[in-house]
Amino acid sequence: MGYAELIAEYGDKYLHAIWETLSMTAVCFAVAMVLSILITVMRVSPIKPLRIVGDIYVQIFRNIPGVALLVIVAYALPNLKIALPWKTCVEVTVILLASAFGSENFMTGINAIGVGQIEAARSIGLTFGQTMMKVVIPQALRSAVLPMTNLLIATMLTTALGSQVPLNPQELTGLVSYITTRSTGAGIVPFVISALCYAGSAVLIGMVGNSIDKKVRIMR
Amino acid sequence: MADQIPVIELQHVDKHYGKLHVLRDINLSVHKGEVLVLIGPSGSGKSTLCRTINRLETIDSGQILIEGKELPQEGRELAQMRAEIGMVFQSFNLFAHKTILQNVTLGPIEVLKTPKNIAEAEAMELLDRVGVAEQAHKVPAQLSGGQQQRVAIARSLAMHPKAMLFDEPTSALDPEMINEVLEVMVELAREGMTMVVVTHEMNFARRVSNRVVFMADGQIVEEGTPDEFFDHPKSDRAKDFLDSIRGH
Ligand SMILES: Nc1ncnc2c1ncn2[C@@H]1O[C@H](COP(=O)(O)OP(=O)(O)O)[C@@H](O)[C@H]1O
Ligand SMILES: [Mg+2]
Repeated sequence: MGYAELIAEYGDKYLHAIWETLSMTAVCFAVAMVLSILITVMRVSPIKPLRIVGDIYVQIFRNIPGVALLVIVAYALPNLKIALPWKTCVEVTVILLASAFGSENFMTGINAIGVGQIEAARSIGLTFGQTMMKVVIPQALRSAVLPMTNLLIATMLTTALGSQVPLNPQELTGLVSYITTRSTGAGIVPFVISALCYAGSAVLIGMVGNSIDKKVRIMR
Repeated sequence: MADQIPVIELQHVDKHYGKLHVLRDINLSVHKGEVLVLIGPSGSGKSTLCRTINRLETIDSGQILIEGKELPQEGRELAQMRAEIGMVFQSFNLFAHKTILQNVTLGPIEVLKTPKNIAEAEAMELLDRVGVAEQAHKVPAQLSGGQQQRVAIARSLAMHPKAMLFDEPTSALDPEMINEVLEVMVELAREGMTMVVVTHEMNFARRVSNRVVFMADGQIVEEGTPDEFFDHPKSDRAKDFLDSIRGH
């Protein structure tokens, strides 16, 4: 089975799959960014229990394999009477993973700011919240553009976890398994098409990330 | 002077970092318009003392009074009070992502709730006063160290502080930039600003300070007028220290 035949037969499904992958990526990344900021603020807050909870969160979700986490969310949570739709399970898993890495990116950005500027902010009378909003977060955001670009790409690739649960419509990786089980003669072709979609999106994301970084980078 | 309430008063202040006793029973008053120079070997606790005065560091015991009022423990009230004491750091610590003008207006806009246009007009006046008005729309990394430190002074002044603390404001500067910063400080002193200055610049101390306080090992060892202290130090610690900074 060649490319032309495959696209004739599954073209629609591919378009849906690309949309699924990209929209899941966008939703997961947006939620993960908000969560990363909250967790990072906890991790640098003056309140010790908050710091501890934030650190534990990151240690757990940064160090757990995606598939294992998906199994927990999809198959263990229902035992606690939390039964989520399949797609939500995938999204929750991706969000938990991405937010842990996102917080690490922000922490790196914050550490680059140094205590000096934070003390200067406090000494002109800014409260903890104002120091965060006006000095720390804007700089952490700006210096996190490149690492976050990489995280966005990683988030997209992690949505491939969707192939492990029955999604309808499927995302790019799930579609590959679907096609190969139905059209046995397809060989490697369905996979190559999906791979090109991932790679193309990643290159695009990378380009956008680089140009944003150039605009907002902080001179030091 | 003695019957006035001091702007800054420390009573029996003690502080430890773990086992290290960094401040030992510090008693110190700074009156309105006074310029106090704090001097002493590295590690003697000068920075820590400055930082406790606006509660960037807590103390174990004793009292710190600003115009007779004790520093609050935490929260918004403390933040307000910090704004009343300006602080200038060795490493400038300008906000790297903001322009020079924004560095100066941030405090007035956020803390004093000054309208933006008024804050900007005031900031431009201050930048002009410290001689960096032309740099207003640049970012800190585009300025020399001496210019950055003058901006840092303007940033503190924008809060209309009751007193200013300077922690070795010239020791991170290239020699040719030291004077431009000291001149700004001399000017401030002449205008009657209450100042505590950690510095080893003896000429500055002689020109503008009323009193030199010598610290060693977390204690105030001796104090006197600049001429008394530099010409006739009483303690051996001070004599040794002065010898070492004069390069004997
Ligand atoms: N955050 C800190 N934690 C532990 N020890 C500190 C800290 N800051 C300063 N010290 C120690 O306290 C002592 C006094 O430091 P400092 O006030 O910076 O002295 P100075 O400014 O006179 O050089 C030094 O021995 C220093 O190592
Ligand atoms: Mg010091």
